Amino acid sequence: MRIGVHEFPVIEVGGFHLDLSAILAIVVSGIITFVIAKLATRNLSIRNPSKLQNFMEWVVEFVHKTIASTMPLSKVKMFVGLGMTLITYLFVSNLLGLPFGIVTEHHEEFRLFGSVVVSEETIEKHGGEVHVAWWKSPTADIMVNFGLAIIVFFLIHILGLKMNRKHYLKHYVEPYPVFLPLNLIEQIVRPVTLAVRLYANIYAGELLIATILMLNFVGIPLLAVWQGFSIFVGAVQAFLFTILTMVYISQAIVHEDH
Amino acid sequence: MSFHWESTIFSIIAFGLLYWLLNKYAFGPLFGIMEKRREIVLGELEAAEANRKESERLLAEQRQALEEARREAQEIIETARRTSQKQAEEIIQAAREEANRLKNEALREIQNEKNNAIAALRRQVSGLSVQIASKILERQIDEKAHEQLVEQYLKEVGKTS
Repeated sequence: MRIGVHEFPVIEVGGFHLDLSAILAIVVSGIITFVIAKLATRNLSIRNPSKLQNFMEWVVEFVHKTIASTMPLSKVKMFVGLGMTLITYLFVSNLLGLPFGIVTEHHEEFRLFGSVVVSEETIEKHGGEVHVAWWKSPTADIMVNFGLAIIVFFLIHILGLKMNRKHYLKHYVEPYPVFLPLNLIEQIVRPVTLAVRLYANIYAGELLIATILMLNFVGIPLLAVWQGFSIFVGAVQAFLFTILTMVYISQAIVHEDH
Repeated sequence: MSFHWESTIFSIIAFGLLYWLLNKYAFGPLFGIMEKRREIVLGELEAAEANRKESERLLAEQRQALEEARREAQEIIETARRTSQKQAEEIIQAAREEANRLKNEALREIQNEKNNAIAALRRQVSGLSVQIASKILERQIDEKAHEQLVEQYLKEVGKTS
């Protein structure tokens, strides 16, 4: 038995390979995020806010402060919505894989919607038994994270070009034109590190949980500790992703006089 | 571990959709409410400031009014005191004049009475003298008797007058 590593349920539809676990995770995370946000803002009140509304306002103020620490106050307002979406969605996503896992064991070919999910070959390769993991954090999938990183990448450059064209373009050849390749690499590396950092933290957390689960009863206290820590990691990573996004946007759109 | 770019596309679409939904239905209204509250708080602060200034102004006005009233009262008391003093002096003056007048009148009356009395006395004395003289003329015969007579009449005169 291989420790911790599972196959993912991938079906082929019209030439596309859809990773059902990733899609399920994204949809569930999105729905949970939206439902919580909607619940918190259901009966909005100016003078008598509910507890959830209070909490959500605290989050808004936290995000506002976070963004304000990266750019001038006049520009903060535009990005509070983005920051809120990022931090709430990522926090929910990071925690999604923690409470439980759904793993199916397959000893023979497994089909879903007429598409082969586990082939005989794969079973052969894994020694007659294949574990398929259906439940995970969406952010434990690097391809999902790349999606977010690509959004951030385009945001940075489109905003930079729109709001601060001259200085945005100029900064590629600063301090000397020789630095152009370096600056270009930097622009590529930034979103990649965003995605990989998030993926590595969350995936490592889930991997360890899967590993601890193999200890059976002995692992329970350890599991509790690690899950608690994973909540912390999830929060920190959500925050990091958000603030780094804001820092990058700020660097692109804000021209500082030197 | 397998990589499927379809997950990336799905992630992008899902995040875009979530961003739109959240901002339209959840965070947008929340931001609106927070902004409104901020405005209300700001407005109330301004109102409180205005009220404070108004009350300060009123207090100053009250203080001034009080000061004025006090000064006026002082003035009134002063005036009253001056008036009463003057009146008192006037009364005393009038009393003194009246007394003088009464005294003078009394003196004049006394004088008049005295004059009248003297006149009356003079008139009686002359009458008496005339009577005495006629009596003397009646009794010239007897010197003695005459003497007696004079004495008698003098006595009579003394009695009647």
